[in-house]
Amino acid sequence: MTAWQTSQLDWIGRLDSAVSEVFGMMLERDCSPADITGAIAPCISARILFSGAIRGECVLFASESVAQATAEALLGTPSEPGDPMTGDAIGELCNMIAGGWKSKLGSDEAGCAISPPTIGTHDSEMDLNLEDGFRRFYRFECHVFGVHMNF
Amino acid sequence: MRALIIDDSAVMRKVIERALRQSGLDLTEVVQASNGEEALEILRTDTTSPTKIGLIISDINMPVMDGLQFLEAKRDQQLAVGVPVVMITTEGSEPFVLRAIAAGAQGYICKPFTAEQVKARVVPLIEAA
Repeated sequence: MTAWQTSQLDWIGRLDSAVSEVFGMMLERDCSPADITGAIAPCISARILFSGAIRGECVLFASESVAQATAEALLGTPSEPGDPMTGDAIGELCNMIAGGWKSKLGSDEAGCAISPPTIGTHDSEMDLNLEDGFRRFYRFECHVFGVHMNF
Repeated sequence: MRALIIDDSAVMRKVIERALRQSGLDLTEVVQASNGEEALEILRTDTTSPTKIGLIISDINMPVMDGLQFLEAKRDQQLAVGVPVVMITTEGSEPFVLRAIAAGAQGYICKPFTAEQVKARVVPLIEAA
C-alpha cells in the first residue's frame, strides 16, 4: 500500500468517526457508512473550504427529502419542503463534520482554517463536479447522504 | 432569567435554546441575535425589561461582527457586566477559544454537543454569578 493510500484510509476513518459523532451527539441517531452506488439527484449541498496547512474542501450532499429529514432530526420539530432551515441545518452539519475531521488531524495539519458553509441546490449530483478526492455515503435510519472530501 | 443566544445560524439558535430549556434553568425568555452587532444593540436597549439578561451564549464565527469582536465591544462599552458568557465553537478552534476567554468569556462548548454538556457548562456559571 502506498503512503497516499494509507493516508487516504486514515482520512476516511476520521471522516466516519466525525460523522458518527455529530449524528450521535446532535441528532441522537446512529449513522454509519452505507455501501451504495449511483448518484443522488436532485440534491442540496453544503460546501466547506479548508485553507492553511491543508487546502481542500468537504461537501455534504443529500436529496431534498433526506435533507428535510435531517433538519427535522436536528431541530426536533417538523419542517416543510423548501424550508430555509433545511439548508441551514445541512450547512451546520457539514461545518461540524469538517470541524470534527480537522480536530482529529495531527497538530501540524490542524492549523488549517475552515470557511463558513456555502449552500447550493442542484438538479443532479453531477452538477457538483465532485470528481477528485474521495466520497463516502452514510445512512441514518432509512436516509442516505454523501460526503465528499478533496485535497 | 432571560438568555441571549448569538449565532448566524437560525438552526443553531434553535438547537441551543432547546438544550438550555432541557437543562432545567428557569428561563423566562430567550432573546436571539444573528451577529455581535445585533447583540450589542439588544444589550444597550435592555434597560426597561424587569428581568435582565442573565446568560449570553455566542458563536465565534459570524458575519458582520464575530464573537470575539462582540466580547471586546461589550467589555469596552461596559454592557452586561458580570453576566456569564459561554462561547460555542466548532471543534479544532482552540486558539479562538483562548482569545475569547482572554476577552471575557467564562466558558466554551464545542460543537457537536449534547444537551447534558450544555447543562454541565452553563449551570455552574449561573449558580456562581
